Amino acid sequence: MNSPSGKTIWITGGAGYLGTPTTIALDQCCAKVLCIDLPGKAAALVKSANLQHTVPVELDVNDPATLPAAVAALIAEHGAPDGLAHLTVATSMGHTLEDLPAETFQATLDRSLVPTFVLCRELAKSMQASGGGSLVLFSSMYGLVPPDKHAYREEMKPNPIDYGVSKAGMIQLARYLAMHYGPDDIRVNCIAPGPFPNPVAQAANPDFVNTLNQKTMLRRIGRNNEMLGPVLFLLSDQASYVTGQTLSVDGGWTAW
Amino acid sequence: MTNPFSLEGKVIVQCGGTGLLGRELVKAIGQAGATLVVGTRDPSKFGPDLERAREARVEVQVEKLIVSDEDSVNAFRDAVLAKNGRVDGLVYNTVSRPMKGERPHADEWRDSMETNATGLYLTMNAFVEVMEKQPTGGSIVNISSMMGMVGPNMANYEGTDMKPAPDYFFHKSGMINVSRYYASVYGTKGVRCNVVSPGGIFNPEAPQPDAFLEKYNKRTMMGRMANADEMNGAVIFLLSDAAAYVTGINLPVDGGFTGK
Repeated sequence: MNSPSGKTIWITGGAGYLGTPTTIALDQCCAKVLCIDLPGKAAALVKSANLQHTVPVELDVNDPATLPAAVAALIAEHGAPDGLAHLTVATSMGHTLEDLPAETFQATLDRSLVPTFVLCRELAKSMQASGGGSLVLFSSMYGLVPPDKHAYREEMKPNPIDYGVSKAGMIQLARYLAMHYGPDDIRVNCIAPGPFPNPVAQAANPDFVNTLNQKTMLRRIGRNNEMLGPVLFLLSDQASYVTGQTLSVDGGWTAW
Repeated sequence: MTNPFSLEGKVIVQCGGTGLLGRELVKAIGQAGATLVVGTRDPSKFGPDLERAREARVEVQVEKLIVSDEDSVNAFRDAVLAKNGRVDGLVYNTVSRPMKGERPHADEWRDSMETNATGLYLTMNAFVEVMEKQPTGGSIVNISSMMGMVGPNMANYEGTDMKPAPDYFFHKSGMINVSRYYASVYGTKGVRCNVVSPGGIFNPEAPQPDAFLEKYNKRTMMGRMANADEMNGAVIFLLSDAAAYVTGINLPVDGGFTGK
């Protein structure tokens, strides 16, 4: 089957809106899941969803300085993982392009691309020793195409440029790492989600949701349980010859 | 939780099932729980494969299908419906490679057009017509190739008598974009349409020459050709409800050949 059955998987942002159904699905097929999120979030999910194989981990994966020691400690305690789903995001929502301070743009990259690189390098090192693995990074449709200015109402701020640039960087990070670690049987791929606004955002902007619907071939926004299939597939041995690729899960947003 | 990749309860139609890749798909789609109907030019040739499928405890229906012949395609579709009442997935794996070499006669180009272009068109139309009327829609998975994405690297073929022909590059590329067309036009009807683009597949029965393997393998990220069964996961993923929000994509399964 396409699931990463019996494996040890780490998922960052695993207790967020997009991560939660995936963490629950991983819990049901994996030997062990490390659900990494901000303080309290992962533990709350493990409790509320009654997860049996999931260890909640409080860790700020966006800090490259503390990552290597934190990763080493987790590996020492739980062993080398077979796979990583890296959902954590860094963004500067709320700025217009004109208002975005240069330091904020810099901070977004510092808290997304740089720590992702450090995290992947640390995990790949352990996977080299354990015989391979699968790293799944998260890009976005906005790492492939810019947000459509015309889709936003006057008072709304379009999805910011530093976010899109960091998400575009994920795609190249995946390709570069895939090339570098291919001989070690470590596969690296990206998922580029389309529109998956959370329920709060949906309720606040019903007209905007309708605009998003119309920008996909399926004429609807994504549901958060529609991300688990692509993640499980790329983590599993059924994707053993898939590497260096970006899989769009966007209802056709980027295909027209 | 139910297995999101299960094809249990789904009727899947696979066109072309006797080749290296097709044989593996037959087994895997059947094992994923689908009711599988294989359309093939000469069902009698499918005998040994049917045996293999049965050994793998997979029940397969086999029907005659000549994809370039509209009457044959429609008769095939009617036979599938008469037996199963519905069609949830279509895998277009039929391919014809009549051209050899770089500049064969245009008649061979026309011949290639019949199966690889007209056949694809007729088959997708016949089954999309069924899927668009079903409340649950359907999923089309077209088997293209990395050769529909990039040109041939002729250095790979030096020292061998292998000669990539131009029609393959034309049809596999066209297949990728016409799939986006079907994804868009039928998206509102719940029909998804995606492509899997395999990289080079190692043939254990007739191995590619060493001179080719040595160069080709280095041009993948993983340092090897694909095994024939390594396309199964991608096809089953795209057929299944696990890919409910995936449409209009091309998924290369090429060990990183096109990722570099």
